[in-house]
Amino acid sequence: MMASLIRRLPKASTSFKWIHSTSAVYADDPLKHKEAPIVENDVILSDQEVKEREKLSHLISLPKEKTLAPISGVPEEHVKTRRVRIYVPPKNAMQSGTHNIQRWRMEFDNRERWENPLMGWASSGDPLSNMNVDFNSKDEAIEHCEKNGWKWFIASEDKPKKERVKNYGVNFSWDKRTRVSTK
Amino acid sequence: MLRAPMFRALVLAQLPSRAGILFTTSRMQSNAPAKAPEKIEVFIDDQPVMVAPGTTVLQAAAQVGVEIPRFCYHERLAVAGNCRMCLVEVEKSPKPVAACAMPVMKGWRIKTNSDMTRKAREGVMEFLLSNHPLDCPICDQGGECDLQDQAMAFGSDRSRFTDINHAGKRAVEDKDIGPLVKTIMTRCIHCTRCIRFASEVAGVDDLGTTGRGNEMQVGMYVEKLFLTELSGNVIDLCPVGALTNKPYSFVARPWEIRKVDSIDVLDALGSNIVVSTRTGEVLRILPRENEDINEEWLSDKSRFACDGLKRQRLITPMLRKPDGEFEAVEWESALITAAQAIRNAPKDKIAAVAGSLVDAEQLVAVKDLLNRLGSELLCTEQKFPTADGTSGTDLRSNYLLNSSIASCEDADLVLLVGTNPRYEAPLLNTRLRKGYVHKEQDIAYIGPEVDLSYRYEYLGNRSLTIEDIAKGKHPFAQRLKQAKRPLIIVGANALARNDGKAYIAALQSFARQLKPEDKNWKVWNVLQTNASQVAALDVGYKPGVEEVLAAQPKVLFLLGADGNAVNKENIPKDCFVIYQGHHGDQGAQLAHAILPGAAYTEKQGTYVNTEGRAQQTLVAVSPPGMAREDWKIIRALSEVVGTVLPYDTLDELRNRMEDIAPHLVRYGHLEENNFYAQAEQLIKTQASSFQGDVDVNQKSLEDFFMTDSITRASPTMAKCVAAVKKAQATG
Repeated sequence: MMASLIRRLPKASTSFKWIHSTSAVYADDPLKHKEAPIVENDVILSDQEVKEREKLSHLISLPKEKTLAPISGVPEEHVKTRRVRIYVPPKNAMQSGTHNIQRWRMEFDNRERWENPLMGWASSGDPLSNMNVDFNSKDEAIEHCEKNGWKWFIASEDKPKKERVKNYGVNFSWDKRTRVSTK
Repeated sequence: MLRAPMFRALVLAQLPSRAGILFTTSRMQSNAPAKAPEKIEVFIDDQPVMVAPGTTVLQAAAQVGVEIPRFCYHERLAVAGNCRMCLVEVEKSPKPVAACAMPVMKGWRIKTNSDMTRKAREGVMEFLLSNHPLDCPICDQGGECDLQDQAMAFGSDRSRFTDINHAGKRAVEDKDIGPLVKTIMTRCIHCTRCIRFASEVAGVDDLGTTGRGNEMQVGMYVEKLFLTELSGNVIDLCPVGALTNKPYSFVARPWEIRKVDSIDVLDALGSNIVVSTRTGEVLRILPRENEDINEEWLSDKSRFACDGLKRQRLITPMLRKPDGEFEAVEWESALITAAQAIRNAPKDKIAAVAGSLVDAEQLVAVKDLLNRLGSELLCTEQKFPTADGTSGTDLRSNYLLNSSIASCEDADLVLLVGTNPRYEAPLLNTRLRKGYVHKEQDIAYIGPEVDLSYRYEYLGNRSLTIEDIAKGKHPFAQRLKQAKRPLIIVGANALARNDGKAYIAALQSFARQLKPEDKNWKVWNVLQTNASQVAALDVGYKPGVEEVLAAQPKVLFLLGADGNAVNKENIPKDCFVIYQGHHGDQGAQLAHAILPGAAYTEKQGTYVNTEGRAQQTLVAVSPPGMAREDWKIIRALSEVVGTVLPYDTLDELRNRMEDIAPHLVRYGHLEENNFYAQAEQLIKTQASSFQGDVDVNQKSLEDFFMTDSITRASPTMAKCVAAVKKAQATG
């Protein structure tokens, strides 16, 4: 309130040189104040600066698609020609554990690999072949791909697991086909 | 017998939805909708969880994400409760309980990480390891072994095993159970998963235990092969390295290989698979869980035929020289020669025949090319009944397994006609067997007598029986009419016969007459026998090669057509044959130009399975040599011919596919079929009569292994056929 009052002064005379201490803006007795007054800096700002500051105080609007692709440093070839598969890793059929499959993962399309003549290891010309990123949800993965400008597709469905009845007794029921003959 | 009524009452209370099919006497009572049983509350590590009564401790724990270690328990097999690894403490219970077999009671407090539980696990682990060889460094299971992992997680941190002279460890002789499964029986921990799989799922009651205690052995008692089309699954099931993959033995470690999710194309089911690769080589194929199709199993053909992908491959384009020999050439000259032949041919003399392993992308690209050139001569190798003027394949419900694979297990009465699902689609057969074992399903069969792995009512192999059933004269027709969820499954090979029209006309209208309890239940089902037929018919290929051959084509595209429908005798002499495919098999021998394509592990392709579900394969390895993805070859050829196809990328091609048939790109989704009445009308107009008895192509196990160009090139499959023949010869 006070500041805005004062700001009108220079508007009246733009050529007026503005040299004085900030304490001078207070009309009342400074001795009555126990502490030094807090004065906003606005009073010494020029018009230009005020405008700039007002601009900054508002929300800025960005283009709707925010993409990191132009600044991420990934070669254009690996942005435009790649497809990302977003999926839930399947359970390894050889094992019963499920700890590593409760997540969503993204993976790039597979490119050529060859056996390195030196050691017999696998070589690849694909810098993204090992970039598997895990996400908590499908949406996070999609957002990540969108941001990076990759084409993506969802390759898993999140279906609820089928409930099944497990019953030790059916092994021994005499009138059903579930009766176990071999032990 | 005092327990009988009590038992029935218990079962009825537990399984209200199935009560109707469990006992014929209770059918009348089950009409009223059963009330869902009230859930009970239990506490897993002080976390409350509401579960249905009858849930086991292990299942209840799984619901809150607590995984109890186990060896013998498997979701899809009966509960055995013999490994004791799942022992957990229950508050106020003096002894630990076996979580896999014990149903929860109200208010139970289960402690999965208490001192008692941990001590129990340690004890079990110690006993298992005291007789388990410490040969992990040379064991094929190493790295993906449940015993290894659980010994690390739950075992004791030190050993009390002091017998450094190895005097006391138990040793068991290995068994030879066939060319696919290698046994190292000393490693066996007697979980009996393989035994339960063989007797429950595969329906081969061969495996069992002999002896007790330290002398107990898993085996067949006599020297015998484990002859089933599903034997590979016991490798997955084995939690240790007792049963391992013989062709894959000592090939790779699990941490060296890359895994790519894909789809199997060696039968019409489209089982979900994981392709394991290293340095551009497919090493093994494992099943991937898909509740709607293959559950968790895989047939031996799909699992072990992957070595056929490395042999007999076409790796460079070839042209036939005047002396009849093939010459390897560059792509440029192959495409120019092919294009010249196409340009010189009259526009209605260019034809294409699609084989059994073709993806929808290639089918669409070839059809677009030929249509743009002005030809309509596109067909598949396998016939399907069509009539003059109308077509039997205009409506999808005619040629699909309409009532999805998963719901086949819910049927109460199944009629199989001219199909042997055990070898044509082993995983559909496991569904039927599941229905037979767990849901009291009854199955009847018309065809030559075969072993389906379950008991069935044999109606003979006379086609007269089909007519009788269709007219309602046969007693079985009455049973079908009374059934609540009847199924009629007809083999595609039966329909591919010259009298196939008679089959479809008789059975489809009979299927329409049936009144299943649920209006949406689909009675009419066709079991296709190859992976590309449905997609080909969906995009408008005509079934059967007669029409194409009758047109005397000047240029003939063979798209992996190796089924001998087109052969030296029936193609015109002056016809220029372009073979596009991945194996140098039957079709390639007719060719004048060979364009090497990619096999199903080398391309991102769409396949539609027998129930009409589109799924896609993914690139696991790159095509060998100069071979290329198939649709790209056609796209390149179109450029040289001068009729450029309007798509440059896979996405653009898939947009085109979506324009033709939207379901082709809705991957994993099952599209509902309809227009049954109209489909029947189409068929009714066709007059026809049966000729000869009902037959199936694959009668015994030896017929199962080699059915297409990939399996014919596979040495493992050849070994299987030899082993089966030898076993049958020796009795």
